Amino acid sequence: MELTNLWPRLEPLLADAERPARYLNHEFGCVLKSDADFNFCMVYPDTYELGQANQALRILVNCVNAQPGMAAQRAFLPAPHMCDVLRDEGIPLFSIEGCAPLAEFDAVGITLPHELAATNVLEVLDLSGIPLHASERTDTDPFVIAGGPCAYNPEPYAPFFDAFNIGEGERAMPEGLDVMRRMKAQGASRADILLALAQLEGWYVPSLYRWLDEAEAQERGSWIEPVRDGLPTVITKRLFEEFAESPGWEPCIVPFTEVVHDRLNVEVLRGCARGCRFCQAGMMYRPVRERSADNVVDSVLEGLRCTGYDEVSLTSLSSTDHSQIADILMRLNEACDGKGVRISVPSQRLDSFGVDMAELVAGQKKGGLTFAPEAGTQRLRDVINKNVTEDDLFSAIDAAFAAGWRRCKLYFMIGLPTETDDDIKGIASLAQRAYDRAKAAVPPEQRGSVRMSVSCALFVPKAQTPFQWDGQIAPEESLRRVALLRHSVKYRAVDVHWHDPDTSFIEAAMSRAGRDAAAWVEAAWRAGARFDAWSECFSRQAWEEACEQTGFDPAVVAQTTYPTDYVMPWSHISCGVSVRWLAHERKLAGLERTTPDCTFERCSACGACPSLGTDNQLAAPRTNAKSTAIKPDRNDSGATFNAGSASFEESGTVQPDTVPTCGGDMAEKAGSCMRADYGEGERYD
Amino acid sequence: MTDSSLFRLRVEFGKQGRLALLSHLEVARALERAVRRANLPFAVSKGFSPHMRIAFGAALPVGVGGTSEIFDILLLRYVRPSDALQALQHASVPDLMCTSCAYIEPTAKAASVAYPFSTYVARFTEAPVRLEVPAEITVVRKKKEKVLRSEEFLVGPMLLDGDTVRFTLQAKDTGSLRPDVLLRACCEHTMANGASSAEPDVDSSITTTPSPLRVASITRVRQSATAEEALR
Repeated sequence: MELTNLWPRLEPLLADAERPARYLNHEFGCVLKSDADFNFCMVYPDTYELGQANQALRILVNCVNAQPGMAAQRAFLPAPHMCDVLRDEGIPLFSIEGCAPLAEFDAVGITLPHELAATNVLEVLDLSGIPLHASERTDTDPFVIAGGPCAYNPEPYAPFFDAFNIGEGERAMPEGLDVMRRMKAQGASRADILLALAQLEGWYVPSLYRWLDEAEAQERGSWIEPVRDGLPTVITKRLFEEFAESPGWEPCIVPFTEVVHDRLNVEVLRGCARGCRFCQAGMMYRPVRERSADNVVDSVLEGLRCTGYDEVSLTSLSSTDHSQIADILMRLNEACDGKGVRISVPSQRLDSFGVDMAELVAGQKKGGLTFAPEAGTQRLRDVINKNVTEDDLFSAIDAAFAAGWRRCKLYFMIGLPTETDDDIKGIASLAQRAYDRAKAAVPPEQRGSVRMSVSCALFVPKAQTPFQWDGQIAPEESLRRVALLRHSVKYRAVDVHWHDPDTSFIEAAMSRAGRDAAAWVEAAWRAGARFDAWSECFSRQAWEEACEQTGFDPAVVAQTTYPTDYVMPWSHISCGVSVRWLAHERKLAGLERTTPDCTFERCSACGACPSLGTDNQLAAPRTNAKSTAIKPDRNDSGATFNAGSASFEESGTVQPDTVPTCGGDMAEKAGSCMRADYGEGERYD
Repeated sequence: MTDSSLFRLRVEFGKQGRLALLSHLEVARALERAVRRANLPFAVSKGFSPHMRIAFGAALPVGVGGTSEIFDILLLRYVRPSDALQALQHASVPDLMCTSCAYIEPTAKAASVAYPFSTYVARFTEAPVRLEVPAEITVVRKKKEKVLRSEEFLVGPMLLDGDTVRFTLQAKDTGSLRPDVLLRACCEHTMANGASSAEPDVDSSITTTPSPLRVASITRVRQSATAEEALR
C-alpha cells in the first residue's frame, strides 16, 4: 500500500516550530525503500534529538531494511508544543523518511529506553490515532510492538502493546515481522498472527496470558497463566549470537540538528559481568561479547569516512574492560592523528588504568572526569558488589590530576539496601579526601582550580537484579539523607548535586509494578503527564491524580521490601540469569560479601551462559592491568575465551575481589538518553 | 586564515527546499561533515581542541534559503577545483549542494564579511496589490527592544513583480536587518494600511482582512561586495 505523504500539511507549520530540523528528514544517510510490501516504523518515544542517536533505532531500522520486501522508517515524538499543534491541526504523528502517518504502517515498534517513557508511549499512540489498547485494535491497525530495557518487566505496558520482543532484536525483530508479513499476505486474522508470534523465541504476547492476583501468583510461582495450550510460560530473551563477529560499523544517519551523542558510535562489546547488584544492564546483557581490535579499528575508520563525524565513541557498558582496549585506542590515535578527530570512551574503569585510557584519547583538552564509586563506605560498596576500593579511587584521582585534569565528578547512590547514616557521611568523607588527594597531585599555583563535585541519584530497585526485592526509600527520607550529606560536606570546593526523588519514585514503581499499573499510567497520561523524563515537564500532580482515580498505590510497589522467595511480577521474563542466583547474590549482599567478574576470574554461575546456550566471547583473555605502563597488545587472534562454568554452591568462599571497576550504571544512564543528560559533558571533556 | 603555505578554497553552495529551515549552525556542521566525507586534505587548527579550518559566509536565518552561499576551507595541498567539487558533491545531500569552487588569495577578506550586500527574492502566498515598507521596525535583540530604520539597511527599492519581491539589504558593523523580519513588518504595515483604506466593515465587532499577506519563501539570490554590483 502506498503510504500517505503528510509533508504538504506539515511544511506550513514548520516556520513557527522550534528547531524545525527535527522534522525535516533528508539527512545524509537516510534510506527510503520503495519496493516494499510491508512497512515498519521504529519509534523512539521522545524527541528527535534524544532518540536519533539511539542504538536500537539505528540497528533495527537497518536490520529490517535489509529484508527483501520490508521497509523501515523512523519516528519520534515532536516537542511538547508541536504535539499540541499537530493535534489542533488534525495531523497525525508521522514517520521521518516518508512523512507517513504511523497508523498506516503494518507494524510500529516502540523502544522502551527507561521507566519514565510510559506516558510518552501513550502520547505516541494517541497522536497516531492508533487505539491505545491492543484489545481495541482491528485488522486495519498496525501491530504495536515494544522492546528495549523496560521490556524486561513488560507488565505495566502490557495492555498497550500487541507483543514484546525480549532481548536483542537483530534477529528476533525481522523474524517476528516476517511472521506478520507472511500471515497477513495469506489473509490470516490478527489473533492468529499474534498466536503464531507468541510461539516464536523471545516474543511475548501479553493478551494471551491471564494476569493472576497476588495470592494466586505466589502459590503458583508465576503471575501469568496462558489462555490456551502450547504457549511458553517463561519467555527467555533472544541474543544476537553473531554479535562478536559482526562488523562494528553499520550505516547510520548523520543528523543536521544537534542531538545527544552526536557522533559516530561504535559498539565495542556487549554485556558487563562486573555484577554490581543494583545494575539492570549488568544483568540483562549477559554474556560478555567483545568485538576484536581489528573489527573495532576498521569499523571506526570506515564509519568516520562514511559519516564525516569528527568524534567517535567506543560504546559499551564497560569499554575499558575490553581485553584489547589499549591496542584499540593506540591504533585509532595513530590513524586519526592530525584530522581533528576526538575519540571518547564513555565508561571508564575506576583505577589508574582507566585514567591511562582516558589520557590516551583526551589529547590536550582535559575538562572533567567522572567516576562512580556509587557508595561512600567500603562496607556498602561490598554490599552492592561495586568492586572498587578507596585505593582504586585515590590512585585514579592521583593519576587524573597529575595528568592535567582539574575537575572530577563522583557519582553516588542514596538509599541503597542496608544504607545507614554512616554510609551517607562516608560519601562526604570520601569526596573530601578525594579533593585533598587531587590538590596534592597538582602544582601549588593551580590548586585553586581543583573542583570536586558529588552527584547523588536515588537508588531505584530494578527488575531482574539481585536488589529487585528491595524497596526504595521514601522521597522524604531521601531528602533527609541528602540534607545530612550536604551538612557533612565541609569543603566549599566540593559541591553536592542530587536528583529529584519524585521522578525516581515513579521509576521505581514502574520498574517493579505488575499489569495493574497500566491503568495508573493511562490515568496519569490523561491527567496531562508526558515527557516525564524532562524535569521541566514532569508533573507530580498528574501522577497523584491518577492514584486517586485508579486506587493504585505506587508507594507500596516502590517501597515494599520482599523476601527473596517472593515471586516478582516479571518472573515469566528471563534474561538468562537465574532467579536462584539473584537470590543468592542478595544473600551475599547482606553478608557484605562480593562476587568476582567472570570475565576476569572464575564463573559465578549466574546461569546466563547455559540458559542461552553460549559463553562469554572475549577477543583475548582479560587481565587486571593495573600498571600505568601501557603495553601495546597486538594479540588480536579473535579466539573465543571460554571462562568455563561452575555453580555457586561449589564456589565456596568468595574472595574479596580486587578487580577495579567501571561506571557500569553510568554507561546505562548515558545510554538512556534522558533529558537530564542532554548537553551534559562527555566524561573526558 | 592567512597561512601562505595553505590553499584557500572558496566553495559556493545552495541551501534550498526544506533545508532552508536549517539554522546557520546546522548548515555549518553539515558542511564540515561533507568536507570530511569528501576526504579533502583540510587543515586542522592547533591548540587544545583541534578543529577543521573552515569559515562560513554571512549567516542566513532559519527559513531563508540561498542560491550562492559560500564557505572557505584551508587545504594542506593543492587539489584540482573540479576534483574537489566532484568529491564535495558526492558527499552532499541534494538540498545542501556545493555548486562551484575556486582558490582565492590567502589574504582575501573573510567569507563572512566579503559580501555585505545581500539580494533576496521572496515569494508571497498571493500576489499583493502593493507593498509598503515601514520606516521603523522594532526588533528584539538579547531581550532588548531596538528600533531599526529600514532605509539604513535597504539598498535600492523593493521591486514587486507578481507574487515575488526583490530587494537588497546591507549588513552593517553595528548589526543588520533580517530579511524575514523586514518582510513580516512590510506585510503587517501593508495590511494595517489596507484595512483602514478599505471599505468600512459591515460587522463592526470583527475586523476582517480579505486574505492576510503572507510570505511563502525567502531566498538569498546574490551576495555582493558593493552596492553597485548588488543593484546591477
